[in-house]
Amino acid sequence: MAKYSITNGSTSGGGTQQNMTTTYVGALIGLTSSSATPRRIKIYDVLIGTNGTPADNFVEWDISRVTVASTATFLAAAPLDPADAAAITLATVNSSTHGTITTGTNVFYVGVNQRASYRWVAAPGGELVAPATSANGFQLRARSGGYTGTATGTLHFEEQ
Amino acid sequence: MRNAGGYAFSFDVGGIRQEADTFTCFHCNKIVIVKPMCDPCELGGMCRLCEKMICPACVDLGKCDPVEKKLEREEAKYRALRSYGL
Repeated sequence: MAKYSITNGSTSGGGTQQNMTTTYVGALIGLTSSSATPRRIKIYDVLIGTNGTPADNFVEWDISRVTVASTATFLAAAPLDPADAAAITLATVNSSTHGTITTGTNVFYVGVNQRASYRWVAAPGGELVAPATSANGFQLRARSGGYTGTATGTLHFEEQ
Repeated sequence: MRNAGGYAFSFDVGGIRQEADTFTCFHCNKIVIVKPMCDPCELGGMCRLCEKMICPACVDLGKCDPVEKKLEREEAKYRALRSYGL
């Protein structure tokens, strides 16, 4: 079971980071199973933060299940072990619109001060798991009532 | 919390680190943050059938439907549809 990392940082070909709004419009990172060879996606590490001018604002972070990926920049997730093969899971970053999300399928929600960064790590068995079916997966989104800058996110996941 | 299913921490303005155990609901896969010294009733509960921690929303449902079973059902449906060429 290979492990991979994906970030919406200034990676070559990673698109442009989107400004935050008061509603969930885009998605920082999306992970969906490929249609040809779907695999289970297991997210076990989430790192989130902002990279705009520091101020005291409330930022809400959300990871929801998607059944259709967004249409933004596709990026290859980096294997944590260079000996592993390239990821089969499709990763999108800095999407201006998020994919198809069924209401009530958010599995991670946390409110964080804009100045703070936040990390969640799963113990073995506590990962967020998406089924091995085409286009199913997760998207990381953020919104804020006061902050209108950009945000950063990193997801570590495992394919199974 | 014994045998926590995860761990969350934040670095705030003053560099102070706030930490909390988490667990992942065994029925819906949602992450529940365990606030220090909180009332166990607010966390959700333990399913007496699968003997795993579940979130408050799943406690209210009153049935045992583990996320693994849900995933297996979705994958079986997907495999069936693919075998029909759909």
